[in-house]
Amino acid sequence: MELDNVTRPADQPQPLSDEDRCFLRELVETNRVDHHGRLSYMDIMFDLEHHYGNSLPGPVLGEVARLAETSPAQLNGFVTFYTMLSTTPRGKHVIRVCTSGPCHVSGSPAILSSLRRLLGVDIGETTPDGEFTLEGSSCLGICGVSPVLMIDDDAYGNLTADDLPRILDAKRSGGAQ
Amino acid sequence: MKLFSTQIVVPVDSNSVLQGALEVKHVLEETIARFNLSSQVSVVETGALGIYDQGVVLAVFPDDVYYGGVKPTDVEEIVTEHLLKGRIVSRLAIDRNLSSRRLVEKETGLSQQKIVLRNAGLIDPQSIDEYIARDGYAALAKALAMQPGEVIQILTDSKLQGRGGAGFPTGLKWGMVAEEQSDEKYIVCNADEGEPGTFKDRLILEGDPHSIVEAMTIAAYATGAHVGIVYVRGEYFMSIARLKKAIKDATEYGLLGKDILGTGFQFDIEVYRGGGAYVCGEEFAMLESIENRRGEPRNKPPFPPQHGLFGKPTVVNNVETFANVPPILLNGSDWFKSFGTPSSAGTKVFSLSGDIVNRGIVEAPFGVTLRELVYTFGGGVKGGKHIGFIQTGGSAGTVLSDKYLDIPLDFASMKAYNVSIGSGVILVASNDVPLLPFLAEVAHFFWHESCGKCTPCREGTLQIKAIMDSLVNRTADPASLQRLGMLQNLLSDTSFCGLGQAVPLAFESALRNFPEVFDQALAESHVPEASPEEA
Repeated sequence: MELDNVTRPADQPQPLSDEDRCFLRELVETNRVDHHGRLSYMDIMFDLEHHYGNSLPGPVLGEVARLAETSPAQLNGFVTFYTMLSTTPRGKHVIRVCTSGPCHVSGSPAILSSLRRLLGVDIGETTPDGEFTLEGSSCLGICGVSPVLMIDDDAYGNLTADDLPRILDAKRSGGAQ
Repeated sequence: MKLFSTQIVVPVDSNSVLQGALEVKHVLEETIARFNLSSQVSVVETGALGIYDQGVVLAVFPDDVYYGGVKPTDVEEIVTEHLLKGRIVSRLAIDRNLSSRRLVEKETGLSQQKIVLRNAGLIDPQSIDEYIARDGYAALAKALAMQPGEVIQILTDSKLQGRGGAGFPTGLKWGMVAEEQSDEKYIVCNADEGEPGTFKDRLILEGDPHSIVEAMTIAAYATGAHVGIVYVRGEYFMSIARLKKAIKDATEYGLLGKDILGTGFQFDIEVYRGGGAYVCGEEFAMLESIENRRGEPRNKPPFPPQHGLFGKPTVVNNVETFANVPPILLNGSDWFKSFGTPSSAGTKVFSLSGDIVNRGIVEAPFGVTLRELVYTFGGGVKGGKHIGFIQTGGSAGTVLSDKYLDIPLDFASMKAYNVSIGSGVILVASNDVPLLPFLAEVAHFFWHESCGKCTPCREGTLQIKAIMDSLVNRTADPASLQRLGMLQNLLSDTSFCGLGQAVPLAFESALRNFPEVFDQALAESHVPEASPEEA
């Protein structure tokens, strides 16, 4: 049951619109067809993050749980297990800096501290303008060009601290590229 | 059909794209068109060549000339000098012996040594026709003409062992699944490559996705399965896209789907994505994840061959293991055993990273030494420095000194010398890299990636991390190393799954090989006064 007449604070997730419900129904059904009658929650969650700006709002998860015939708690348990998924709001762009062994050896600590300084935020935080969320990441599997980071779906390698302002500026203005 | 007199091959994979391979390819195509050479010269995209510190590489055939560090601005010179006038641009030419394929050939004097990476860098990974032209799907056709039991027998005889780290005999595993009576069985390919420093599976999937499709179909025929699932890391966008294209093309060619090669045998493959959890490389955690649950391991036994995905008999193999299967079926088990050592047949794909001149992927027969990998293939330590330490096998692997350089790497010597090969990570750190902060990062990694299901791993990784941090900060108390030793035993003896059991490897081996580093940190430590609220 949805409490449609309750006024929620502006910073809280708002109830779903009919458009949302329609979108979610279609998404889940397409996924079911793609996976021969089963569902892949992971694919659904990636699609949702793409649609809802890098995070998974509670009411959306509630509706997906209903469509997938599981409980919201079960789905929440799934979502909170995987580091690529987030239930708390994130910035427009998610920066994942690899901190694992090979990148550590080739200089990731310096990359990370430069990013902290440039963005003015620590790991797990989002810049006040809502552009970037800074995250540390386990090995990204492109160790041939370490140290590396990913911003959204794009990877950057052979990094030096000098490269970072240019990379951030390009993301800030260009969006997709 | 168009006939080209010259072919330029551009390796395009996630490492080379970051160095500008796509821009170079684009400018190359434009320049070739501008000089009216489009009818004579073709530009072909291919998978990884395996070397990265040479920048963007172009290979010109049939001239057999390799150019390295190619920038878009160099392209016109290559076109006007080499293609028009036939003069090699020596400024950019590189020694093709650096290519790992050549090195492996030289090593043993045999010409067909690249088994797993047989097609990477030679074919367009997105072209099923090119895969077929290099004997692709011939092993499947051969298998379908045999009895399933015969297929398994060839694999068993070949002594192929799993390449994911545990080294379980592949033929035995397939045989166990074949024996099970069940209405449904599954073939699962573990492509959740997460061991820090490993990037081989990514390059196999990006460079030769059809080899995985073919091998999984053979496994399905041998064991009686009809559904296959590849579980790929969520961050591996190019692997996922190329794999999906390979599955689609194979289905259109009748090599997957309802009636494979007209034999009536049916098999389909789906791709599932991971969500950034190291533990999902553990086979049961991965199966849980495919079943839309938290990636937490299950109790063993029963093992996946008896009770796997959705409770049904399941083959779970690593990408590299599968990539070995088609050549074994085509060339026979004796051929495969002619590579490697008595304890370990075949080759291993190693990922070289860190302070090494040629970072990248190398395929070498088992029995290769660290010295050959680091100095012959890898070109030595960057800047002519000395080796500080080498981590083999990944974060869940051993930290070694240069005393270990001449031990042959295979399953037998692993046990004898406490050296892990794991997924084939060779991470080299020069003597400028301090060991303890590195180990603190390894501890942090395990603390972050522990799934939290069992207490020894969840709490033990936190304690190890605290001890390592205190050694780095020189605030360690005198009993730290004793506590570290106790935690190591605790984790390896009582952790629920392989993740926790393997955590101590790095610390144990570092303590054994570099005791002086720990002793010095302890000697320099001052335990801070406990604050009133803690006391």
